[in-house]
Amino acid sequence: MIGVPTALLIGTILLLALLFLATRGSAVAGSLSAKSDVSLLEDAGELAPCPPEFVARIFDSADWRFVARANSPQLESLFRRERKLVALLWVQQTSAAIQHIMRQHKEASRQSDDLNFSTETKIILLYSQLLLICGLLSVAIQASGPQHVRGLAVYADTLSHRLAEVEQGFRIATTGRQLHNAGSS
Amino acid sequence: MTPSIKLVPVRAAYDDLLKRSLSKISCDLARLIYLASTRDYNSGTYHHDGLSARFSPGAATKALEIAHREVFHQLAGYSLEELVAQLQMYLDCSPEDPAEVLRTWQKLEPYRVAIPVETNPAVARLFVSNVKLALAIWRHRQEPDPKHP
Repeated sequence: MIGVPTALLIGTILLLALLFLATRGSAVAGSLSAKSDVSLLEDAGELAPCPPEFVARIFDSADWRFVARANSPQLESLFRRERKLVALLWVQQTSAAIQHIMRQHKEASRQSDDLNFSTETKIILLYSQLLLICGLLSVAIQASGPQHVRGLAVYADTLSHRLAEVEQGFRIATTGRQLHNAGSS
Repeated sequence: MTPSIKLVPVRAAYDDLLKRSLSKISCDLARLIYLASTRDYNSGTYHHDGLSARFSPGAATKALEIAHREVFHQLAGYSLEELVAQLQMYLDCSPEDPAEVLRTWQKLEPYRVAIPVETNPAVARLFVSNVKLALAIWRHRQEPDPKHP
Protein backbone atom coordinates (compact mmCIF):
# COMPACT_ATOMS: atom_id res chain seq x y z
CA MET A 1 0.00 0.00 0.00
CA ILE A 2 1.53 3.36 -1.00
CA GLY A 3 0.71 6.70 0.55
CA VAL A 4 -0.94 9.66 -1.18
CA PRO A 5 2.32 11.71 -1.49
CA THR A 6 4.13 8.74 -3.10
CA ALA A 7 1.23 8.16 -5.48
CA LEU A 8 1.23 11.87 -6.37
CA LEU A 9 4.99 11.80 -6.94
CA ILE A 10 4.74 8.73 -9.18
CA GLY A 11 1.84 10.34 -11.05
CA THR A 12 3.79 13.56 -11.59
CA ILE A 13 6.86 11.66 -12.80
CA LEU A 14 4.72 9.63 -15.21
CA LEU A 15 3.02 12.76 -16.49
CA LEU A 16 6.36 14.50 -17.01
CA ALA A 17 7.72 11.43 -18.79
CA LEU A 18 4.65 11.39 -21.00
CA LEU A 19 5.05 15.07 -21.84
CA PHE A 20 8.76 14.64 -22.51
CA LEU A 21 8.22 11.70 -24.83
CA ALA A 22 5.37 13.41 -26.64
CA THR A 23 7.53 16.54 -27.15
CA ARG A 24 10.43 14.40 -28.23
CA GLY A 25 8.16 12.63 -30.70
CA SER A 26 7.06 15.86 -32.33
CA ALA A 27 10.62 17.16 -32.42
CA VAL A 28 11.66 13.97 -34.20
CA ALA A 29 8.75 14.39 -36.59
CA GLY A 30 9.88 17.92 -37.32
CA SER A 31 13.42 16.87 -38.10
CA LEU A 32 12.05 13.95 -40.08
CA SER A 33 10.01 16.19 -42.35
CA ALA A 34 13.17 18.17 -43.02
CA LYS A 35 15.21 15.04 -43.76
CA SER A 36 12.58 13.12 -45.61
CA ASP A 37 11.43 14.08 -49.05
CA VAL A 38 7.95 12.74 -48.44
CA SER A 39 5.64 15.62 -47.64
CA LEU A 40 3.82 15.25 -44.36
CA LEU A 41 0.17 16.07 -44.78
CA GLU A 42 -1.26 18.67 -42.46
CA ASP A 43 -4.57 16.91 -42.05
CA ALA A 44 -4.10 13.33 -40.90
CA GLY A 45 -7.71 12.63 -41.79
CA GLU A 46 -6.79 12.85 -45.46
CA LEU A 47 -4.17 10.12 -45.18
CA ALA A 48 -4.81 6.71 -46.68
CA PRO A 49 -4.43 4.27 -43.77
CA CYS A 50 -1.27 2.19 -43.50
CA PRO A 51 -2.27 -1.48 -43.84
CA PRO A 52 -1.19 -3.55 -40.79
CA GLU A 53 0.97 -5.91 -42.89
CA PHE A 54 3.16 -2.91 -43.80
CA VAL A 55 3.64 -2.01 -40.14
CA ALA A 56 5.05 -5.49 -39.58
CA ARG A 57 7.23 -5.12 -42.73
CA ILE A 58 8.70 -1.75 -41.72
CA PHE A 59 9.76 -3.15 -38.35
CA ASP A 60 10.74 -6.62 -39.58
CA SER A 61 14.30 -7.85 -38.97
CA ALA A 62 14.47 -10.21 -42.00
CA ASP A 63 15.63 -7.38 -44.29
CA TRP A 64 18.35 -6.46 -41.81
CA ARG A 65 19.61 -10.07 -41.76
CA PHE A 66 19.63 -10.10 -45.56
CA VAL A 67 21.66 -6.88 -45.72
CA ALA A 68 24.05 -8.13 -43.02
CA ARG A 69 24.85 -11.19 -45.18
CA ALA A 70 26.34 -8.86 -47.82
CA ASN A 71 29.10 -7.98 -45.34
CA SER A 72 29.27 -4.36 -46.41
CA PRO A 73 29.45 -1.57 -43.81
CA GLN A 74 28.19 0.94 -46.41
CA LEU A 75 25.11 -1.14 -47.17
CA GLU A 76 24.44 -1.70 -43.48
CA SER A 77 24.68 2.01 -42.76
CA LEU A 78 22.43 2.87 -45.73
CA PHE A 79 19.88 0.30 -44.54
CA ARG A 80 19.89 1.62 -40.97
CA ARG A 81 19.42 5.20 -42.13
CA GLU A 82 16.68 4.39 -44.64
CA ARG A 83 14.66 2.07 -42.42
CA LYS A 84 14.91 4.47 -39.49
CA LEU A 85 13.39 7.25 -41.62
CA VAL A 86 10.52 5.03 -42.76
CA ALA A 87 9.80 3.89 -39.20
CA LEU A 88 9.88 7.44 -37.84
CA LEU A 89 7.56 8.57 -40.60
CA TRP A 90 5.13 5.82 -39.60
CA VAL A 91 5.29 6.91 -35.94
CA GLN A 92 4.71 10.53 -36.93
CA GLN A 93 1.77 9.46 -39.09
CA THR A 94 0.24 7.36 -36.32
CA SER A 95 0.68 10.17 -33.83
CA ALA A 96 -0.98 12.64 -36.26
CA ALA A 97 -3.83 10.17 -36.87
CA ILE A 98 -4.62 9.73 -33.16
CA GLN A 99 -4.50 13.49 -32.62
CA HIS A 100 -6.94 13.88 -35.51
CA ILE A 101 -9.25 11.31 -33.86
CA MET A 102 -9.08 13.22 -30.57
CA ARG A 103 -9.87 16.54 -32.28
CA GLN A 104 -12.92 14.91 -33.87
CA HIS A 105 -13.88 13.44 -30.52
CA LYS A 106 -13.58 16.80 -28.76
CA GLU A 107 -15.87 18.36 -31.36
CA ALA A 108 -18.43 15.56 -31.05
CA SER A 109 -18.32 15.69 -27.20
CA ARG A 110 -19.03 19.41 -27.25
CA GLN A 111 -22.30 18.74 -29.05
CA SER A 112 -23.29 15.86 -26.80
CA ASP A 113 -25.27 16.60 -23.61
CA ASP A 114 -25.03 13.15 -22.01
CA LEU A 115 -21.42 11.98 -22.01
CA ASN A 116 -20.73 8.45 -20.88
CA PHE A 117 -18.05 8.41 -18.17
CA SER A 118 -16.69 4.95 -18.98
CA THR A 119 -16.42 5.68 -22.73
CA GLU A 120 -14.69 8.99 -22.04
CA THR A 121 -12.25 7.31 -19.63
CA LYS A 122 -11.55 4.56 -22.15
CA ILE A 123 -10.83 7.08 -24.92
CA ILE A 124 -8.56 9.22 -22.73
CA LEU A 125 -6.66 6.18 -21.46
CA LEU A 126 -6.18 4.82 -24.98
CA TYR A 127 -5.06 8.22 -26.21
CA SER A 128 -2.54 8.70 -23.37
CA GLN A 129 -1.22 5.18 -23.81
CA LEU A 130 -0.77 5.76 -27.55
CA LEU A 131 0.98 9.09 -27.04
CA LEU A 132 3.35 7.47 -24.59
CA ILE A 133 4.04 4.53 -26.94
CA CYS A 134 4.62 6.85 -29.93
CA GLY A 135 7.12 8.84 -27.86
CA LEU A 136 8.83 5.65 -26.70
CA LEU A 137 8.94 4.32 -30.26
CA SER A 138 10.56 7.54 -31.57
CA VAL A 139 13.29 7.36 -28.95
CA ALA A 140 13.82 3.60 -29.34
CA ILE A 141 13.95 3.76 -33.15
CA GLN A 142 16.57 6.49 -33.01
CA ALA A 143 18.57 4.70 -30.36
CA SER A 144 18.55 1.12 -31.60
CA GLY A 145 16.70 0.90 -34.92
CA PRO A 146 13.18 -0.21 -35.82
CA GLN A 147 13.81 -3.95 -35.90
CA HIS A 148 14.01 -4.09 -32.10
CA VAL A 149 10.58 -2.57 -31.47
CA ARG A 150 8.40 -4.52 -33.89
CA GLY A 151 6.09 -5.83 -31.18
CA LEU A 152 5.51 -2.38 -29.70
CA ALA A 153 4.80 -0.89 -33.16
CA VAL A 154 2.28 -3.61 -34.00
CA TYR A 155 0.67 -3.06 -30.57
CA ALA A 156 0.48 0.72 -31.20
CA ASP A 157 -1.13 0.05 -34.57
CA THR A 158 -3.75 -2.22 -32.96
CA LEU A 159 -4.41 0.37 -30.22
CA SER A 160 -4.83 3.19 -32.74
CA HIS A 161 -7.42 1.11 -34.61
CA ARG A 162 -9.20 0.43 -31.30
CA LEU A 163 -9.20 4.16 -30.47
CA ALA A 164 -10.71 4.91 -33.88
CA GLU A 165 -13.39 2.23 -33.31
CA VAL A 166 -14.31 3.47 -29.82
CA GLU A 167 -14.50 7.07 -31.06
CA GLN A 168 -16.61 6.05 -34.04
CA GLY A 169 -18.92 4.09 -31.73
CA PHE A 170 -19.27 7.18 -29.55
CA ARG A 171 -20.20 9.36 -32.54
CA ILE A 172 -22.75 6.84 -33.84
CA ALA A 173 -24.36 6.63 -30.39
CA THR A 174 -24.39 10.44 -30.01
CA THR A 175 -25.93 10.95 -33.46
CA GLY A 176 -28.52 8.23 -32.74
CA ARG A 177 -29.51 9.89 -29.45
CA GLN A 178 -29.73 13.32 -31.09
CA LEU A 179 -31.96 11.94 -33.87
CA HIS A 180 -34.12 10.16 -31.30
CA ASN A 181 -34.48 13.36 -29.21
CA ALA A 182 -35.26 15.43 -32.30
CA GLY A 183 -37.92 12.90 -33.32
CA SER A 184 -39.59 12.79 -29.90
CA SER A 185 -39.64 16.58 -29.35
CA MET B 1 -28.51 -1.77 -59.35
CA THR B 2 -26.43 0.79 -61.27
CA PRO B 3 -23.10 0.10 -59.44
CA SER B 4 -23.12 -3.61 -60.33
CA ILE B 5 -23.89 -2.82 -63.97
CA LYS B 6 -20.95 -0.41 -64.00
CA LEU B 7 -18.65 -2.89 -62.27
CA VAL B 8 -19.03 -5.58 -64.93
CA PRO B 9 -17.12 -3.76 -67.71
CA VAL B 10 -14.42 -2.68 -65.23
CA ARG B 11 -13.98 -6.31 -64.14
CA ALA B 12 -13.91 -7.45 -67.77
CA ALA B 13 -11.43 -4.71 -68.70
CA TYR B 14 -9.26 -5.67 -65.72
CA ASP B 15 -9.27 -9.36 -66.69
CA ASP B 16 -8.47 -8.44 -70.28
CA LEU B 17 -5.58 -6.24 -69.12
CA LEU B 18 -4.20 -9.12 -67.04
CA LYS B 19 -4.56 -11.64 -69.86
CA ARG B 20 -3.40 -9.62 -72.83
CA SER B 21 -0.79 -7.29 -71.34
CA LEU B 22 0.32 -7.93 -67.79
CA SER B 23 0.77 -11.70 -68.01
CA LYS B 24 3.27 -11.18 -70.83
CA ILE B 25 5.48 -8.94 -68.71
CA SER B 26 8.25 -10.85 -66.96
CA CYS B 27 8.12 -9.44 -63.41
CA ASP B 28 6.12 -7.24 -61.05
CA LEU B 29 8.66 -4.42 -61.22
CA ALA B 30 8.29 -4.25 -65.01
CA ARG B 31 4.49 -4.44 -64.62
CA LEU B 32 4.59 -1.49 -62.25
CA ILE B 33 6.69 0.59 -64.64
CA TYR B 34 4.37 -0.33 -67.51
CA LEU B 35 1.19 0.58 -65.58
CA ALA B 36 2.67 3.83 -64.28
CA SER B 37 3.58 4.77 -67.86
CA THR B 38 -0.11 4.61 -68.84
CA ARG B 39 -0.85 7.44 -66.38
CA ASP B 40 -0.86 11.03 -67.54
CA TYR B 41 1.65 13.13 -65.55
CA ASN B 42 -0.61 16.17 -65.49
CA SER B 43 -4.08 14.80 -64.92
CA GLY B 44 -3.15 11.55 -63.15
CA THR B 45 -5.64 9.60 -65.29
CA TYR B 46 -4.77 6.36 -67.04
CA HIS B 47 -5.04 5.81 -70.80
CA HIS B 48 -4.87 2.64 -72.88
CA ASP B 49 -6.14 2.87 -76.46
CA GLY B 50 -6.68 -0.86 -77.00
CA LEU B 51 -8.49 -1.35 -73.70
CA SER B 52 -10.64 1.78 -74.24
CA ALA B 53 -11.62 0.56 -77.69
CA ARG B 54 -12.60 -2.90 -76.43
CA PHE B 55 -14.48 -1.61 -73.39
CA SER B 56 -14.91 2.10 -72.63
CA PRO B 57 -12.43 4.84 -71.68
CA GLY B 58 -13.92 4.94 -68.19
CA ALA B 59 -13.67 1.17 -67.66
CA ALA B 60 -10.13 1.12 -69.07
CA THR B 61 -9.02 3.94 -66.77
CA LYS B 62 -10.49 2.24 -63.71
CA ALA B 63 -9.01 -1.17 -64.63
CA LEU B 64 -5.55 0.35 -65.09
CA GLU B 65 -5.85 2.21 -61.80
CA ILE B 66 -6.84 -0.94 -59.90
CA ALA B 67 -4.07 -2.99 -61.51
CA HIS B 68 -1.51 -0.27 -60.75
CA ARG B 69 -2.53 -0.14 -57.10
CA GLU B 70 -2.46 -3.94 -56.77
CA VAL B 71 0.96 -4.40 -58.35
CA PHE B 72 2.36 -1.54 -56.28
CA HIS B 73 0.90 -2.98 -53.10
CA GLN B 74 2.49 -6.35 -53.86
CA LEU B 75 5.91 -4.85 -54.62
CA ALA B 76 5.91 -2.56 -51.60
CA GLY B 77 5.23 -5.60 -49.41
CA TYR B 78 8.15 -7.63 -50.81
CA SER B 79 11.13 -8.34 -48.64
CA LEU B 80 14.39 -6.74 -49.71
CA GLU B 81 15.61 -10.13 -50.94
CA GLU B 82 12.54 -10.52 -53.16
CA LEU B 83 12.91 -6.99 -54.46
CA VAL B 84 16.55 -7.59 -55.41
CA ALA B 85 15.36 -10.68 -57.33
CA GLN B 86 12.71 -8.54 -59.05
CA LEU B 87 15.35 -5.99 -59.99
CA GLN B 88 17.56 -8.76 -61.37
CA MET B 89 14.68 -10.06 -63.51
CA TYR B 90 13.89 -6.55 -64.71
CA LEU B 91 17.50 -5.90 -65.69
CA ASP B 92 17.79 -9.31 -67.38
CA CYS B 93 14.80 -8.50 -69.61
CA SER B 94 15.85 -4.96 -70.40
CA PRO B 95 17.51 -4.44 -73.80
CA GLU B 96 19.71 -1.78 -72.18
CA ASP B 97 23.02 -2.43 -70.47
CA PRO B 98 22.18 -3.31 -66.81
CA ALA B 99 24.96 -1.12 -65.48
CA GLU B 100 23.60 1.81 -67.47
CA VAL B 101 20.04 1.19 -66.23
CA LEU B 102 21.34 1.03 -62.69
CA ARG B 103 23.25 4.30 -63.06
CA THR B 104 20.18 6.04 -64.50
CA TRP B 105 17.88 4.68 -61.80
CA GLN B 106 20.25 5.79 -59.07
CA LYS B 107 20.56 9.28 -60.59
CA LEU B 108 17.01 10.00 -61.74
CA GLU B 109 15.09 7.74 -59.38
CA PRO B 110 12.31 7.15 -61.96
CA TYR B 111 10.61 4.63 -59.65
CA ARG B 112 9.30 7.57 -57.60
CA VAL B 113 6.76 8.40 -60.30
CA ALA B 114 5.55 4.78 -60.27
CA ILE B 115 3.72 5.27 -56.96
CA PRO B 116 -0.08 5.37 -57.26
CA VAL B 117 -1.89 8.46 -55.96
CA GLU B 118 -3.37 8.31 -52.47
CA THR B 119 -0.77 5.81 -51.30
CA ASN B 120 -0.06 6.00 -47.60
CA PRO B 121 3.16 8.11 -47.21
CA ALA B 122 4.89 5.49 -45.01
CA VAL B 123 4.18 2.74 -47.58
CA ALA B 124 5.39 5.01 -50.40
CA ARG B 125 8.56 5.81 -48.44
CA LEU B 126 9.13 2.11 -47.70
CA PHE B 127 8.91 1.33 -51.41
CA VAL B 128 11.29 4.13 -52.46
CA SER B 129 13.68 3.18 -49.68
CA ASN B 130 13.64 -0.51 -50.61
CA VAL B 131 14.26 0.17 -54.30
CA LYS B 132 17.17 2.43 -53.35
CA LEU B 133 18.57 -0.36 -51.17
CA ALA B 134 17.98 -3.03 -53.84
CA LEU B 135 19.92 -0.92 -56.34
CA ALA B 136 22.78 -0.51 -53.87
CA ILE B 137 22.81 -4.26 -53.16
CA TRP B 138 22.79 -5.09 -56.87
CA ARG B 139 25.68 -2.69 -57.45
CA HIS B 140 27.58 -4.16 -54.52
CA ARG B 141 27.18 -7.64 -56.01
CA GLN B 142 28.65 -6.49 -59.31
CA GLU B 143 31.76 -5.09 -57.69
CA PRO B 144 34.74 -7.46 -57.74
CA ASP B 145 35.48 -9.09 -54.39
CA PRO B 146 38.74 -7.52 -53.08
CA LYS B 147 39.66 -10.86 -51.45
CA HIS B 148 39.47 -12.65 -54.83
CA PRO B 149 40.70 -10.21 -57.47
